[in-house]
Amino acid sequence: MEEQYDAIVVGSGISGGWAAMELCKKGLKTIVLERGRQVEHIKDYPTTNLAPWELLHRNRNTNKIKKDQHIQVRGFCNEANSHFFVNDKEHPYVQKKPYDWIRGYHVGGRSLMWGRQCYRWSDLDFEANARDGHGIDWPIRYKDIAPWYSYVEQFAGISGSKEGLPQLPDGDFLPPMEMNALETHVSESIKQKFTDGRRMIIGRVANLTRGWNGRGPCQYRNLCDRGCPFGGYFSSNSATLPVAASTGNLTLRPHSIVMEVMYDKEKKRAKGVRIIDENTKESIEYFAKIIFLNASTLGSTSILLNSVSDVFPNGMGNSSDQLGRNLMDHHYHVGAGGRYDGLKDKVIHGRRPNGIYVARFRNIDEKTKRSDYLRGFGYQGGASRGMSLNGDGIGSELKEKTTEPGDWSFWLGSWGEQLPHPDNRVTLSKTEKDKWGLPQLEIDCEWKENEIAMRKDMMNSAAEMLESGGIKDIYTFNDEKAYPGLCIHEMGTARMGKDPKTSVLNEWNQLHEVKNVFNTDGACMTSSACQNPSITYMALTARAADFAVNELRKGNL
Amino acid sequence: MDRRELLKMVAAATGGAVIGGEFFLTGCKNPEAGKTKEFTADDIAFFDEVAETIFPKTSTPGAKEAKVGQFMTVMINDCYTEENQQAFRDGQEAINAACKKMHGHSFMKASPEERKAVLVSLDPEVKEHRTKKEEFDKIQGDLEKKAQANGDTNFIKKTMPDHYFRMMKQLTILGYFTSKEGRTGATRYEPVPGKYIGDLDYKKGDKVFTNLN
Repeated sequence: MEEQYDAIVVGSGISGGWAAMELCKKGLKTIVLERGRQVEHIKDYPTTNLAPWELLHRNRNTNKIKKDQHIQVRGFCNEANSHFFVNDKEHPYVQKKPYDWIRGYHVGGRSLMWGRQCYRWSDLDFEANARDGHGIDWPIRYKDIAPWYSYVEQFAGISGSKEGLPQLPDGDFLPPMEMNALETHVSESIKQKFTDGRRMIIGRVANLTRGWNGRGPCQYRNLCDRGCPFGGYFSSNSATLPVAASTGNLTLRPHSIVMEVMYDKEKKRAKGVRIIDENTKESIEYFAKIIFLNASTLGSTSILLNSVSDVFPNGMGNSSDQLGRNLMDHHYHVGAGGRYDGLKDKVIHGRRPNGIYVARFRNIDEKTKRSDYLRGFGYQGGASRGMSLNGDGIGSELKEKTTEPGDWSFWLGSWGEQLPHPDNRVTLSKTEKDKWGLPQLEIDCEWKENEIAMRKDMMNSAAEMLESGGIKDIYTFNDEKAYPGLCIHEMGTARMGKDPKTSVLNEWNQLHEVKNVFNTDGACMTSSACQNPSITYMALTARAADFAVNELRKGNL
Repeated sequence: MDRRELLKMVAAATGGAVIGGEFFLTGCKNPEAGKTKEFTADDIAFFDEVAETIFPKTSTPGAKEAKVGQFMTVMINDCYTEENQQAFRDGQEAINAACKKMHGHSFMKASPEERKAVLVSLDPEVKEHRTKKEEFDKIQGDLEKKAQANGDTNFIKKTMPDHYFRMMKQLTILGYFTSKEGRTGATRYEPVPGKYIGDLDYKKGDKVFTNLN
């Protein structure tokens, strides 16, 4: 039986969902191949309405979770969401250096558990490689992607405030969430005390501050990573896949592990993909005019590396030898915190699934140029006032003290840019295979000098900002064991560029060498900036899908 | 923010530092740890009384009513390393021994006041142990770094169990505030807040919001 479609989308996470929706809306019969199980919106969120006491271990990780998901627990995996993270025993990979690969193999992928922070990039980011010579130049600039940022923001629903910061462009936002009393105070202090223009603003987040496109609003439960029964935040499951399905053009096939993209030498085009069924291990071929690879950064690159033929002995579209290189993430687990003496007559109501953001303020112009490192970092964090921190003693005094509000506290964590480096790379293992007979990925990636130098400033500047806001008993942290991957912002390995000799994808996210294969997940990124990357994947996907369908109609694909 | 808040609370409850604590609860020292042995109903009754002594019934429910004893045994069995499981179990004997020494009879036979006196006497011991453990962990950490620098892949870091009473206190606080009785009885619990107010007026006596999930 020949399985023929107009388009194949590999992966149903944040970018795959967008590819599916855009292609289906434009009338293409589209099949989405997802390697994991089905997760239907609301129906398959088993823990979403559980009270704390309804979780046997009160949301702590059990020894079984720590054993079966020993990599995943280094991230955000807990009792209530562990079913959305992979079993590390079943999905092994080779760590040439420590690398935390945090994954969700199911419909919706990590769009279910993502951090939801959404920040546009600016030309400070798109011009970064060209300016300092690390990596190659991006083939696009802010003006190319700006309308697509608006397009995806208008559908997804991003709440945030307009600030007029050139390095962090404003978007089409829903009303911002509010800062709490201490955040407002510290934000004002920073504005007054620092002359370099740094600003602490409310986080820009894909949680809906009002009803939007039939979803939400957010109920301030802060249980997003379990899936939201209110559709209070953007995910493939709540937003893009239902719209794709409503067109009648979508076929969604779970349990479909894509092994390779098949190449037609005569036409110089891909003709389809070959999958292995996760459960039956049956091999099936699907054919289409265009193929979108959205299997996540390392997933998509694995598939291309495994798509070998006489024409592409080292992986499809890899004549440049750049496929697998320049793996990036953001480095974090560095910053500062402390407590505040005032505002004793104020508390917080509700659990805001969002914090504050400090836009990058280093190396943004001549005035802010650093001699010790290139590029920059931002901050996320926030203030809270919970229960009393003083737990000395025993008995009714302890209980009484603990059930009174304690001091306000403030926490600031920093997210830093990683420079692209060709030696930070992934390859396919020649000896190790997974249970489906596919070669395991070998990951060889580390923080290098620039990141390590930057971290000192990330830590000290956090303390300095907190100090300016009157925060006391400041502590700092810089976790050496926060390995690459842990930030779950893996990027690169199939970078975009103008020149086929030095890049894998062109300015439209097409493989230079196979024009009907597109990649619009993190693999395409040419540099990493320091902002959370998902909104950029969404915008690039919508842009590429629009281009692909136009090319198809013109007969170019 | 929820996990951080809880961490600070449990760390502070036992004189710990917050630094580095961000990752404590998801830390994975011994993923192979299994169950040493089943706890009995008597054990659970004992831990209920320990918990009740730490968090007694006042105008709000006590830890016993919140079934913290049972909770402790589930957590120790399913979430703790083998050496901490053993330390926790040995703690039961140690508390009885301390109680006999102080009052001449076992913890279960002691009055609430007597029990409290026993547990109060353990607090300084916990602090001392904590200092020792920090030193121990630091030395092991340095050795590990040295081994890594020398390319020695056979080095295995030694660990030191936590003090049993530190675990009991942490589990009492965690268990109480995540129980139905403790959460709804002693704090303002709102499963679906619906909105966020970052500067709500507070006056002494108002119940605290637990922002932990």
